[in-house]
Amino acid sequence: MLKEVLKEIYNSNYISKSNIARNLNIPEELVEEAFTQLARMGYIREDNGINDCNISCSKCPYANHCNKISVNSVTITEKGEKLLNM
Amino acid sequence: MSFVDNDYHMVRGIQVNTIALVGNPNSGKTTLFNALTGSNQHVGNWPGVTVEKKEGKIKFNGKTYNIVDLPGIYSLGAFSEDEIVARDFILKNNPDIVINVVDATNIERNLYLTTQLLEMGAKIVIALNMIDEAEERNINLNIDALSEKLGAPVVPTIASKKKGIDELIKKSIELMEKDIEHKPHISYGESIDKEIEKVKDFLSNKNLEYPPQWIAIKLLEGDEYIYEFINNHEDLSSSEEFNKMVEQFKKNAEKYELEIIDKRYEFVNSITNEGVKRPDVMEETMTDKIDKILTHKYLGLPIFALIMLIVFQLTFAIGEDLLGGLVEEGIEILGGFIESFLISINSPDWIISFVAEGLIGGVGAVLEFIPLIVVLYMLMGILEDTGYMARAAYVMDNIMRALGLQGKTFISMIVGFGCNVPGIMATRTLDNKKDRMIATLINPFMSCGAKLPIYLVFIAAFFPDKGGLVLFFIYLLGIFIALLMAKIFSNTLFKGEPSYFIMELPPYRLPTLRNVLRNMWDNVSGFLKRAGTTIFAVVTILWVLAMLPIGVEPYGESSILGRIGSFIAPVFKPAGFGTWQAAVGLFAGIAAKEAVVATLGMVYAGVGEGTELIAAMQRVFTPLTAVSFMVMTLLYTPCAATIATIKKETNSSKWALFTVLYTFIIGWIAAVLVYQIGRLLGFS
Repeated sequence: MLKEVLKEIYNSNYISKSNIARNLNIPEELVEEAFTQLARMGYIREDNGINDCNISCSKCPYANHCNKISVNSVTITEKGEKLLNM
Repeated sequence: MSFVDNDYHMVRGIQVNTIALVGNPNSGKTTLFNALTGSNQHVGNWPGVTVEKKEGKIKFNGKTYNIVDLPGIYSLGAFSEDEIVARDFILKNNPDIVINVVDATNIERNLYLTTQLLEMGAKIVIALNMIDEAEERNINLNIDALSEKLGAPVVPTIASKKKGIDELIKKSIELMEKDIEHKPHISYGESIDKEIEKVKDFLSNKNLEYPPQWIAIKLLEGDEYIYEFINNHEDLSSSEEFNKMVEQFKKNAEKYELEIIDKRYEFVNSITNEGVKRPDVMEETMTDKIDKILTHKYLGLPIFALIMLIVFQLTFAIGEDLLGGLVEEGIEILGGFIESFLISINSPDWIISFVAEGLIGGVGAVLEFIPLIVVLYMLMGILEDTGYMARAAYVMDNIMRALGLQGKTFISMIVGFGCNVPGIMATRTLDNKKDRMIATLINPFMSCGAKLPIYLVFIAAFFPDKGGLVLFFIYLLGIFIALLMAKIFSNTLFKGEPSYFIMELPPYRLPTLRNVLRNMWDNVSGFLKRAGTTIFAVVTILWVLAMLPIGVEPYGESSILGRIGSFIAPVFKPAGFGTWQAAVGLFAGIAAKEAVVATLGMVYAGVGEGTELIAAMQRVFTPLTAVSFMVMTLLYTPCAATIATIKKETNSSKWALFTVLYTFIIGWIAAVLVYQIGRLLGFS
């Protein structure tokens, strides 16, 4: 299942977990779980833009001006690409 | 290494049975623990770690049972102290029963941990918690099928309402007193099953603190903690045969781990296929249908442009036409009142001048645009809360990629629309230094919120009927120049392949009033805070410079401020705004962009050309020079805080200085082009 989810990520223009769930005929909750596992195992890297700036908003003098649009993205790592080519 | 050293089966010298509670975070495990033990509990720490330890006792049918609440975990690996504490406790202290608390609304995710508990050979009872919420969401759970497939009793509970608790304890005690007859077999595939058997055979006659089957799985998964355990175990580490086997596993650990995890999910899926029925999610959702249009390959970008144009038009329609003048009138009334008061108490002229021309003329000029800013951020908040902004990033990402650029750069650019400082900090998420450098250097072209009052003054003075359109093109120009520079940098200074990433598009949802108002307040309060601090400080310094040396005409060309402006002004002559006032405005903008308007407000309020900034602007600028000035302010040298952030993030004064100079040159060239071409075309 993990490899299938990874393939779905690779072949998509954008990530829609509901689309992946539908394509693989598994519950969306399992897709969520697969993302967590793939990230933990280093096959993908997830980030959510500004929230990764390592400064907690309460300590940041620019917090009020910060455009906190959460744009999550996934990068398939070298390890992930290797798995896809296996 | 072990974090568990207590004998949990003894209470005051008496043998008691122990029940361990284990579950995912937010599964309601602690609520269940509290429901079971009430006040009969105590909290401490597991030895050697900072993980909280909760213990309590319950009495059931006259017998006392020890209850241990293990940390909330998602799996039983060795990735955190929590996981090690939980698995050590289950394996070494052998609790008589493990109650696995499973969130019934998120059962697929929670059963992964259950699978690992089964691998350990633990005697488990499932507390299927929050069953009421699952019913509310129309999740149909077949308790008997789940119990059958898991080979463990499953008891529906609502811990928060203390429902199902007695049944849970009853089933736990029943299981405690009998041997498990049926245990589900999880197959990890032929080759892995064979390896597991090999390890089990080898370990079968060794007296180990962990079950052989579990050690075998963990070795195949590449569990470092178990490798360490093997190394420290004399019998095992001295066996050449075993070491060979372990070395072989280590080489293939990645492959084995993936297969084992995959099989666990297959097992979970086979259980939920029979035991869980959710409302049909296999149909195309509304989000998918909307996305087919909004993220369309060719339509996506024009739709994004149209939405932004509507936002800017509405900003002026509501903020200017409906609410415009409210704050302005308020400031005028307040200013007049304060000035009269100061005169009535015979305040010195310099104080009256400072308050009337410096504070009210300067800071007040910035505050007058609050209604427009409120409306703009409210509309942007609605777009954000619906989930559309992620689509905008996706649509722009396609363009970035088409240009051969790192698409992810656009995320930091979007953040830069709020403020360039966090925008530049957001570049940290980019994968390589080249991408980070490009994203950092182009971020100042993203029109931050602080530049808004500048555009608003000029729009109010020269383009009151086309405000939305002008603002739209200003933002568009910023994006265009940023993309152009990114392309130039990627072909010259920072060559390299763009990395590949995929954006996640969250489902659309209806915006909530609370989120929209909070987003608006965050921005407006930040704006007010800066008006009261940075802008106030800049205005005070500029006011002093406009008054000195003593004896010259205040706000005149002979004042220190006038002389500084006059020195810089010739640079801007080819762009059509070579006045000392415009020059000091731009100069002050390097401290903070809002200071441009504050400075213009102050210097024009003081030259006797009328206290109304907009009227003064109409006398000094023309529509063409207004556009040229707006283009300059959009693109020229960023504020001090942004420059400092560039220095910090690139770890180089050279790049900070480069940004100061190159953005100024770009801004100047663009402003000069606008003015000169405009003149050639007959505009004035």
